[in-house]
Amino acid sequence: MLNASQRRFTFFISLPLIVLSTFATTTMLSAEQNPTVDVDFNRDIRPILAQHCYACHGPDAKQRKADLRLDDRAVAIKVGAIQPGDTGASELVQRINHEDPEERMPPASTERSLSVDEKQKLTQWIAQGATYSQHWAFVAPKRPQLPRQRKAKWSSNPIDAFVLARLQREGLKPSPEADRSTLLRRATFDLTGLPPSPAELVAFQADRSPQAYEKVVDRLFASPRFGERMAQHWLDLARYADSDGYHDDTKRAMWPYRDYVIRSFNRNKPFDQFTREQIAGDQIPNATLEQITGSAFHRNGPTSSEGGANPEEYRVKYAVDRVNTTASVWLGLTLQCTECHDHKYDPFTQKEFYQLFAFFDQVPGNTLHRGFFAPPSKPVPSLSQANKLAKLDHRITTITAQLDGSNAGLESEQKKLIQERASLQKQRKVIEKAFPRLRIMQDAPKRIPTYILVRGDFRRRGGQVQPGVPAILPPFPTATSPRLALASWLVDPKNPLPARVTVNRFWAMIFGAGIVRTPNDFGSRGDWPTHQELLDWLAVEFIESGWDVKHLLKLIVTSSTYRQSSAVGPDLLKRDPTNRLLARGPRFRLPAEMVRDNALFVSGMLHEEIGGRSIKPYQPAGLWREMSYGQGKKYVQDHGPSLYRRGVYMFWKRSILNPSYSIFDAPTREDCEVQRSRTNTALHALVLLNDVTFVEAARVFAERIITQGGRLTDERVDYAYGRALSRRPSKKEHALLADIFKDMLEHYRKHPDAAKQVVTAGEWPATKGVDPVEHAAWTSVAQVILNLDETITKE
Amino acid sequence: MEPTSMTSEGSARRAFLGRTAAGIGGIALAAMLGEDNSSAVEPSPSPRRTTRGLHFAPKAKRIIFILQAGGVSQFETFDHKPKLTELHGQPMPESLTNGQRLAQIRGKKLIVCGSPYKFKKYGQSGAELSELMPFTGTIADDICIVRTATTEAINHDPAVTFMQCGNQQPGRPTMGAWLSYGLASENRDLPSFVVLASGMNQGQNLHTRYWGSGFLPSEHQGVRFRSGKDPVFFVSNPQGVSRAARRRVLDGIRALNQLKHEEVGDPAITARIAAYEMAYRMQRSVPELTDISDEPQHVLDMYGPEVSQPGSAARCCLLARRLAERDVRFIQLYHRGWDQHGNLPNDLQRQCRQTDQPSAALVKDLKRRGLLDDTLVIWGTEFGRTPMLQGQYKPKSYGRDHHMLCFSMWMAGGGIKPGITIGESDEFGYQPLNHPVHIHDLHATWLHLLGIDHEKLTYRFQGRDFRLTDVQGKLLKDVMA
Repeated sequence: MLNASQRRFTFFISLPLIVLSTFATTTMLSAEQNPTVDVDFNRDIRPILAQHCYACHGPDAKQRKADLRLDDRAVAIKVGAIQPGDTGASELVQRINHEDPEERMPPASTERSLSVDEKQKLTQWIAQGATYSQHWAFVAPKRPQLPRQRKAKWSSNPIDAFVLARLQREGLKPSPEADRSTLLRRATFDLTGLPPSPAELVAFQADRSPQAYEKVVDRLFASPRFGERMAQHWLDLARYADSDGYHDDTKRAMWPYRDYVIRSFNRNKPFDQFTREQIAGDQIPNATLEQITGSAFHRNGPTSSEGGANPEEYRVKYAVDRVNTTASVWLGLTLQCTECHDHKYDPFTQKEFYQLFAFFDQVPGNTLHRGFFAPPSKPVPSLSQANKLAKLDHRITTITAQLDGSNAGLESEQKKLIQERASLQKQRKVIEKAFPRLRIMQDAPKRIPTYILVRGDFRRRGGQVQPGVPAILPPFPTATSPRLALASWLVDPKNPLPARVTVNRFWAMIFGAGIVRTPNDFGSRGDWPTHQELLDWLAVEFIESGWDVKHLLKLIVTSSTYRQSSAVGPDLLKRDPTNRLLARGPRFRLPAEMVRDNALFVSGMLHEEIGGRSIKPYQPAGLWREMSYGQGKKYVQDHGPSLYRRGVYMFWKRSILNPSYSIFDAPTREDCEVQRSRTNTALHALVLLNDVTFVEAARVFAERIITQGGRLTDERVDYAYGRALSRRPSKKEHALLADIFKDMLEHYRKHPDAAKQVVTAGEWPATKGVDPVEHAAWTSVAQVILNLDETITKE
Repeated sequence: MEPTSMTSEGSARRAFLGRTAAGIGGIALAAMLGEDNSSAVEPSPSPRRTTRGLHFAPKAKRIIFILQAGGVSQFETFDHKPKLTELHGQPMPESLTNGQRLAQIRGKKLIVCGSPYKFKKYGQSGAELSELMPFTGTIADDICIVRTATTEAINHDPAVTFMQCGNQQPGRPTMGAWLSYGLASENRDLPSFVVLASGMNQGQNLHTRYWGSGFLPSEHQGVRFRSGKDPVFFVSNPQGVSRAARRRVLDGIRALNQLKHEEVGDPAITARIAAYEMAYRMQRSVPELTDISDEPQHVLDMYGPEVSQPGSAARCCLLARRLAERDVRFIQLYHRGWDQHGNLPNDLQRQCRQTDQPSAALVKDLKRRGLLDDTLVIWGTEFGRTPMLQGQYKPKSYGRDHHMLCFSMWMAGGGIKPGITIGESDEFGYQPLNHPVHIHDLHATWLHLLGIDHEKLTYRFQGRDFRLTDVQGKLLKDVMA
C-alpha cells in the first residue's frame, strides 16, 4: 500500500524528468498534428500542464504552491498567471521564459524544462484567449458526422470513413485487402481463438458471393468457441484465478464464474446487463443463480489467510482492489493514487476514492478464510452437475405424478416407485453436496461505516463517507441498493467513460492496440486517441445498439480497415512503426492460450468441452513442490482428454503459473490486467521446441501428416503447411521443407534409437504401423512448422 | 537488424550432415530478450542502456541478493542484547509496545525473551556476531552490517513484496526487473536477471511475483534456475533430439522466417530469428554454468559439504559466483525456512548451518577472484523477529514473532564500506536508536552503486511515472566507500 510512503512526499522527487514519456509523446504528436493549426486546449495544452505544472499548481490542494491552480481558469486569471489575449501581462509567459533560472518555471530543481515547442504552444494559447475545455474523456460522446471522403468506395462501414479521412489527410493510402486465407485465419483467431480448419478454408475460397466473408463472420459468432475466446480476455480483467494469491495461495473454486463468462458472451448478453451482474448481480431484485454467479466478479481478487494477518487490513485491501478494478475496467481511470492523496493530474480527490470504496467494503464475514471457505459463498453446480440434476428431477417429478395420479397401480409397484424416488433423492443430495462453493458478493445487513483512511493506512481513520461517485462524472442517484445503482450509473449513456473504454478494449483486442493506446488511462496523462471521432462514433453505436458486443465486433471485423493486408514496406514502417494510422492490418503474436490451442488444433489433439473444473496439463515435474508449502505442493497432472483442452481452462495458480504461460506473457492475475505485455524472447523458443505439450503436438501432427497427407513427400509438405498455416507453401518454402525432411530422414536412419525416443513424446496414444524413423523425420518438419513466426502470429 | 555473418543455408546443411554444427554464424544480437516490435506495440520507452552506468559511473556492475526468507531473528545472530537476557521472562515494557503492530502474539501477554547464544567479536572491525555465525565472522572485515533496518509490512508475503518492489501490493516490478530494464545485459547467452532458490520444504511459498516484472514488459522478469536436469524451464532438448538435429531444425525455422520477413516486412520476425539463436546458445551456456565439475576441490570445500547437493544454499552460492563471473546483472537467491514462531533453537541452527559457511565463502571467493570490487553482495531478510517470546520458553524450543521495526542484514563489495557496523537498536532491540535504514533507502543506495539515480529510473504506467523507491529513498552515505 502507498500509505506511509507518502510521508516524505515532495514534488521534486515525485516527478523526475520523464525521459521515457517524452519519446512517446513526440512520436504521438508528429503523427497527430500539424503545428500550424490552432492550439487546442485538450490536445495541446493540458498534456503540457499535466506533465509539468499540475503537481504544484493542480488539483491536489496539499501540494499546491503559491495558491495557483493552472487546472482552473478562474484561479489562474485571478492570481495573474494568465491574462487571456495578453501574453505580456501573463506571468506564466514571463516565468516560463525567464532568464534567471531561479525564477524560471518549472523550477530547475524538478529537472524538467519546457521545450521551445511547448513554450510556443502555451504562448499561442494565451494569445488566442486561453480557453479551457473539459478533458475530452469526461464529456459524454456524441455521434460525430461521418467525414466526407474521396474514394469512398474503399469503405465498408463508418469505421472506414474515419480511418480513410485520416489517411488521406496524412497523404497515405490503405493497404490492399488481405488474401482470403489470411483474412479467414485472422478473423477465426480473433473471434474463436483458433485457426480455421482446411475445410473451412476451402468453403470460403469457393464461395464467390459478395456475402462470403460476412457469412464466415456470422458462423464464427455462432460458434461456442467465441465465448471461450472472449472469456480469455475478460478473465484478465476479472483477475480470475483458481488460487487465493497471497501467502499460501490455497486452491479455490471460482470456475463456475469462468463458465458463466463464456456463456454470457456466447449468448451475447448485452454489456450493460453483464455489467450489472458483475458489479451487483446479487442485488438485482429476485436475483437468479446466474446473476448471483456474475457477482463473483468482485470476489475474484486475491485473499490472504496468513496467520497473524490483521483481518481489518485485508478487508480494506480487498475493497481497494475492487475500486481499482472497477475504475480500470469501466472508467479507464487510474484511481490507485487517490487511495492515499488527491490525484495529481486528474480531478479526483481522496474523499472520492473512499466514496467509491464505500460501495465495496460491505462484504460480511471473516476476511482471512482460505480457499473454498471464504464467506460469503454459494454452491453453484457445474454444467454436468446441473444436467444430472435436471435428469434426476425429471424422473422424480414423473414418479411423483404417477404416485399422485388416480391410477397409481398396484401396491407393489407403488412401493418400487417410492423406493426409486428415495434413491434418486439420495443421489440428488450427493451431487448437491459436491457443488463447488463459489465466492459471491453480498452486503452486510447493516451498513458498516466507511472512513477516509489517512494515507491509505487502515489504522488511521479520517472522516466518515457515504457511497458516491467522482464529482466530475454524472451525479449519482440515491438508492437503497447502492452497488446496483452504481452498476446502473456505470452503464448510463450519460456516463462519458464506460462505453468508450469498453469499445476501446475490444478494438485493442483485435488491432493489438486501442484507439486510446493507454486503455487503462483515459485521464489527462493518457494517450490522445489516434481517431477520436471514430472512438466516439463506436461508443455511441455500442450504446444505441443496446450494448451489443457481437454487433460491435462485427462492425470492426467487417470493416475494410480490418481487412487490409498487414504486410508493410520500409517506408510505411518508418512513417508509422506501430500502425497508429491504420494504413495496414494488424499483425501480432498470439496470446499464451492461443499459442497452446493452435498447436493442439493443428495436431488434431484439441479436446473441445466447455466448462468445468480447471485442467492440470503437463508442467515441469516438481514445480509446485519446490515453491509452495502445505497442500499447495501437490500437482496432480490430468490424463486423457483433459490434457488437450483449451488454454482458457488452465488451472491458474497465482504464485506459480504454468511456465509456458508466464513465458508467453500471461499475467498472474494478482490484479486487474487490462493489457498484457507482448514480448519476443529466447524463452519462447525453448517452450515451443522443448515443452512436452509442443513436442507432443509435433509428434502427433507428424502422424497425421503421414497417415492423412498423402504418400509423396511433396503432398505431405503441402498438407502440413495447409493444415498449420491455411495456405500452400511457396516453391522456396516447399523446397526448404523437403530438404529438412530429407536431412532428418538421413539423420534418423543413422540413429534409429533416437528416432524411437522422439516419437514417444507425451501421452497421446501412438498410431500403429508408423515407421519410427520416418515418423521422427516428419516430427522435425512438424516442429519447424509449429515454430514459425507465422504459426504463432495473427497476420 | 541484418544477420551479418550467417552461414548460407547450404553450408549449414553441410555442417549438419557432417555433424560439426560449428559456424552457426554470429548473428548480431541486440539483447537476449527482445521486445516485440510488431505492429501495434509502442516502441519500448527503455532508457537505453550503457555499461557505463545510466546516470553516473557505477561502483558495482552487478548485484547478488541473498534473501533469507521467513524473517531472520536478529537476536540470535547479529544484534547482541544482554538486556533481554537480563530481563528474560519478565513482561515487556508497555511503553515500547503500546500502539505498535503485532502479528501472531497480538492480544497475548508480551514477555521478554533473551538469547541463549554467546556473542563474540570478530576481525579488526570487532563486529559482534553470535556463535551461530562463525563463518560470517571470518568475513567481518569485508562486510557492512546494518542492525537498524526497518520495513512497513508485518506479514511475509507483503514484506517480501515490499523488499523486492518497494511496495506491498502485487503489481510493481522487482528490483531485478528494474535493473534489467535500466541497464544492458552484458552477457549474450544468459538472462540478465537470474533467480536461485534453496531451502525447499522449509516454510512459505515463493511466488513468481517475487521476481516478476510488474507493469514493466515481461521480458524483464527473472528467470529461475532450478536444481534438476532442466536448470531453465525447457532448456534441454527432448529425448532423442541431438544438438546437431536441433541445429538443422533451427536452420529450417530461420530460413522460413526470413522468407516471411521478406514478404511482410514485420521487424518482429527478425527479433524472433535472433531470439531462436539466443535460445540455442542458452542450451549450451546454461548447462555449462550449472555444471560445477570444473571447480577444484578446495573451492568446493570453501562452500561446505552441502555444495554437492543441488538445490542447497551452498550450491546456490557457488552458482551465484559463476553467474557473477559471467556478468549476469542481478542474481537473486532465496533461502527459505527462517520463520521461527516456535522451535527456534533447532531450526535456527539448521538455517545457520545451511547458509553461514556458503555466504561467507561467496564473499571470499568473489574477493580472491577480484570480483568483489564490482559485485554488490546483499544478505537480507524481509523483517526481523520480536524481542518478545512466542509460545513457551524452553532453552531448546521457543519462538519469536514477526518484527518489522528493527532488524539486521549485511552488505559487501561493490562500493560498500567494508568492516563497519551501522546503527544501534535500543536495549530491547525494538526500535532503531540511531541510523534507521528504510527499505527505500537501501533501494536508493543499491541503485546508486550501480550508477543509477533512483529518482530518474522511471516508467510511465497508468499516467504516473513509477520508480522503485516510490516517492522516497535517501542515499545511505555512511555505508558507501
